[in-house]
Amino acid sequence: MTTEPLDPPASEAAATQPQRRLHPMSWLFVLLAQLKQFIVPLIALFLFGRGDRNELWPLIGVGVLAVASLWQYFTYRYGLTAEALVVREGWFERSLRVVPFARIHNVAVQQSVLHRLFGVAEVRLESAGGTKPEAQMRVLKLADALALESLVRRRGAPLPQAAGEASAASAAAGSPATPTVLLALSTGELLRLGLVSNRGMILVGAAVAAFSQTGSRVWPDLFEDVAGIWMGWTDRHHFDTFQYLLGGIAVLLGIVIVLRLLSLALAVLQYHGFVLSQDGRRLTVERGLLARWRTSASRRRIQAWTLREGMVHRLLARRSLEVDTAASEESGQSRALRELAPIATAQACDRLIEGLLPDARWTGLVWRAVPAYSWWRRFLPALPWTLLVAAALTWRFGGWGALALAWLPWAAVSARAQAHRAGYGLGEELVAVREGWWSRHWRFAEIDKLQALRLSRSPLDRRCATATLWLDTAGAGARSPPLRIRFLPEADAQAIYGWLSQELSRRPLRW
Amino acid sequence: MNPPSIPPSPFPRTDGDDAWQALPLRARALFLLGAMPALAVPGAVTGYIAGRIASALSAGRGLGALPMPDPALAGLLLGLLAGGGFGLWLGLKQYRYTLWRLDADGLAVRRGRMWQRETRVPATRVQHLDLKRGPLQRRRRLATLVVHTAGTRHSAVAVANLDLDDAERLRDRLARQIDHDDDD
Repeated sequence: MTTEPLDPPASEAAATQPQRRLHPMSWLFVLLAQLKQFIVPLIALFLFGRGDRNELWPLIGVGVLAVASLWQYFTYRYGLTAEALVVREGWFERSLRVVPFARIHNVAVQQSVLHRLFGVAEVRLESAGGTKPEAQMRVLKLADALALESLVRRRGAPLPQAAGEASAASAAAGSPATPTVLLALSTGELLRLGLVSNRGMILVGAAVAAFSQTGSRVWPDLFEDVAGIWMGWTDRHHFDTFQYLLGGIAVLLGIVIVLRLLSLALAVLQYHGFVLSQDGRRLTVERGLLARWRTSASRRRIQAWTLREGMVHRLLARRSLEVDTAASEESGQSRALRELAPIATAQACDRLIEGLLPDARWTGLVWRAVPAYSWWRRFLPALPWTLLVAAALTWRFGGWGALALAWLPWAAVSARAQAHRAGYGLGEELVAVREGWWSRHWRFAEIDKLQALRLSRSPLDRRCATATLWLDTAGAGARSPPLRIRFLPEADAQAIYGWLSQELSRRPLRW
Repeated sequence: MNPPSIPPSPFPRTDGDDAWQALPLRARALFLLGAMPALAVPGAVTGYIAGRIASALSAGRGLGALPMPDPALAGLLLGLLAGGGFGLWLGLKQYRYTLWRLDADGLAVRRGRMWQRETRVPATRVQHLDLKRGPLQRRRRLATLVVHTAGTRHSAVAVANLDLDDAERLRDRLARQIDHDDDD
């Protein structure tokens, strides 16, 4: 409810008696956030349910939850001291939380369509470790939210008084007053992003899963109707086997095209106006068409990097660059700074990496190849399940099931190509691994960011005199490929392991 | 820029405190106590199921009952013995092939003989340390040391059933770090 600018107060009264409150409309957003998990089943219930009164009893639980969250909103107070943010929550059980600005790794400001309607935003402050944000403010006025974000970035230092002074001071200091834009995606790039990504399929899969959990007969009925129409049409036109096959392929193609169009629409919706900018040492990503996301993190908090190039990427001559930050353990894509470049040319990605990791000399990295004679070991995992699938299909469909074995030659070719491409790079400041052939990726990290090391040898490794070296970093989510070098000759593996052990013990942990 | 050649270690690798240390003898029983029941129970269940399947198959094929009183019970006992025996063997192997070492670089733990794994936690990467002592371990003056790092896969490196004095010495050595770090 306060409208004054967010300068830190001189007194320390805010340390124990935080006074600022959230926006008056916060109750609506808190309620909506609680109900969001129940929206889809509720809709399905009302639209497709059989009107059974007993199914409404769980709504009581929903109601209790909503009231509890509203209570929490009313007791939320926050304040700003010179170095920290102070948050007070609760009434029966009060908690006072002090979050120093210096420990905040990531600031996320989000606006959905409803937020933009009211001119408010949701702010999340995250520090390293833990899966919940340190402070989550739902909601603040947009101006307050951005002011809080810039306050966190300045570590609580007061803003220069007048604009004239500010520009003069910053020009004298040599630091930029406005952030430099590192990457901005045009609409053409967005369309490419849509073609490349699987968002449409994931969304449809999630919707199917959500609706099928409500116990309604939507999907089976729909399937039967469509199949009935299809069968009726083909029966009338007396198709033979070949035309059935063609029809089946056409239907599949149609589904794929629809999914891709959905992905295109989602990409435009989520990544419109994507801007990656750098302000001193902080990187900020802003994107979104209807809902806006704004996330920022310090460049130093980036733990590991992944550069991807899938099949469709290669067709479009693009790559994508993702990073792990220490706070990014949640799977929610909008929370932490994850995608530095959702889609960009190879040169743009290299320029970005060179700019953000100047000491690592990414383009000058010398790649050493992993010997290719271990290609058959990459092929081995494909054998058992292909045989299993072929056996199951043969048992079910007769001789045609053996067609599944046609996967094996392709797996062998793929394994050979992967073995020839695989390599690693070891620089003074960077360790990198490249893997894959059909879908390629480069995974690399600064040596300062490595945590623990593991050298492992399976019985097959011992027979072939190879070893696998695992390098651990913080914040590596399930989506990131592991940073490991496989099928390394044993002497090389021991040497690298020994060298990294010494280097890591020499270098302090730069969090 | 030439890639860095892998230099030999400048740190002296003397035998003695730096050598690979084995676990104390009294830890062996705890490894066995851990592995045997964990494998005997699934073995018994598998044997029971196999016995039931065998009796059903033999009855179905009209071969008459198998020449033993109760195939399911026999299967259960066999499975129990087999699982227990395998657990015994596995526990012994785990005990014999768990080694640890504290040197100038940090803590290294080596495990396994068929699947060999060596994990290294550099001294600068230790976040915090746990010393866990169950009732059996307390009676035998043993402890489990868990070293936590900031990593994801190897965020907790555990050395089970260490001698208590060794565990405390490791904990004190690894916990001695000075953090000169500033943030951003």
